[in-house]
Amino acid sequence: MEIKNFIDHFEYALDGLESGTIDGSTNFKDLKEWDSLAILTVTDTIDIEYGILLRKSEIEAFETIEQLFNFIQSKL
Amino acid sequence: MPSNNFSDIKISGSVTVVPKVKRSIEEDIELYGGNYKQVERLKRTLGFNQRRIAPREVTALDLCESASQSLFKKLDLSPIDINGIIFITQTPDHSQPSNASLIHGRLGFSKQCAAFDVGLGCSGFVYGLWLAFSLIANGSSSKILLLAGDTLSRLVNPKDRSLAPLFGDAGSATLIEKEQGGRTSWFRLGSDGTGASDLIVPAGGSRNPISKKTEEEFTDNEGNVRSLQNLFMNGSEVFNFSIEVVPREIQELLKYAKCEKSEVDYFVLHQANRYMVQNIGKRLGCDLKRFPIASFGVFGNISSASIPGAMAFELGENFSTKAKKRLVLSGFGVGLSWGSCLVDLSEIRCLEYVEYNPINI
Repeated sequence: MEIKNFIDHFEYALDGLESGTIDGSTNFKDLKEWDSLAILTVTDTIDIEYGILLRKSEIEAFETIEQLFNFIQSKL
Repeated sequence: MPSNNFSDIKISGSVTVVPKVKRSIEEDIELYGGNYKQVERLKRTLGFNQRRIAPREVTALDLCESASQSLFKKLDLSPIDINGIIFITQTPDHSQPSNASLIHGRLGFSKQCAAFDVGLGCSGFVYGLWLAFSLIANGSSSKILLLAGDTLSRLVNPKDRSLAPLFGDAGSATLIEKEQGGRTSWFRLGSDGTGASDLIVPAGGSRNPISKKTEEEFTDNEGNVRSLQNLFMNGSEVFNFSIEVVPREIQELLKYAKCEKSEVDYFVLHQANRYMVQNIGKRLGCDLKRFPIASFGVFGNISSASIPGAMAFELGENFSTKAKKRLVLSGFGVGLSWGSCLVDLSEIRCLEYVEYNPINI
């Protein structure tokens, strides 16, 4: 899995976030779109795309997109 | 995990009553700091739109009473004919006696009638059907009135933007009776009490009685205001629970019933929100047309009444024919608890919803 695909999925899940808005170093919790609905759609997307159902606390334990990506990668 | 099947028992009719007063999410725009885009996003993603709100003096008991009267009229029945009343609610009139006793007294049922409440919410309608089928199967009853209703709008804090725009009020009445005819119904139910705190009203019961302290409002990390007497929902945990448990349960139910997904006419899920229902549909790999969700945007999430409400709102007219109608019903929520069943509603005599109107009863 490439981080680029993961970022595409992440941007799609954040509903209307323009492609290219975020990269691996983005702190996703600082995005103004990051709210309870975003957590839900990101959780869902990760589960559907990678088959891993994460809890909110597990996702929010990370700072950057890359950290979250590496964690998911390690679980695959 | 209880799995049962029952033969020669049918659902004869169901009426759902909703209050007249509509409230739309646009009226709650101040909850979102006047951010119209956020409201649009909630409408588009979750399907939020309108909900029905009961006036202060109207309770789930009143809504279910009205639904019962309408059902009796449609089915040409009298309360005397009923020998079991099951009332599913989380918002009873009193901590005691039960809503079932109160309605028994109001409508003149026979004294040869068992009447009791069951404290369940979104899974409650399926649990109620399972109980009704069980009581008929073991010979305790021949005709059961299943009432399922809640006024959750009263339990949510109007300043809690995660819950206030979600819940509506409603009451339903459904008749289950013995028949000769060979149709079979399958059930699967389950619980996970370790998730009890994910959907909870912390105060107002015996553990934590109402006091000055429990009335105090506080603001949580996400900026939502509530008190300990208000309903709290851990949305992300409840979402994860639902997508993990419900598709699996429905698949297990169909396996148990030896029924293919393609043989099911409709999957009527608890109308939690549009995203949840469609998500479960996708996970099951089914055509979403078979997953009614339109009632959510009109009634809101109406807790225990949402399955009968969705059937009446979206399928009511289709049931006038004698075509075979195989339905999967699935409720999930507070407890945490869940229940799914495969039922055959062909030749159901009445499936409708009406607005609450105490004058015309």
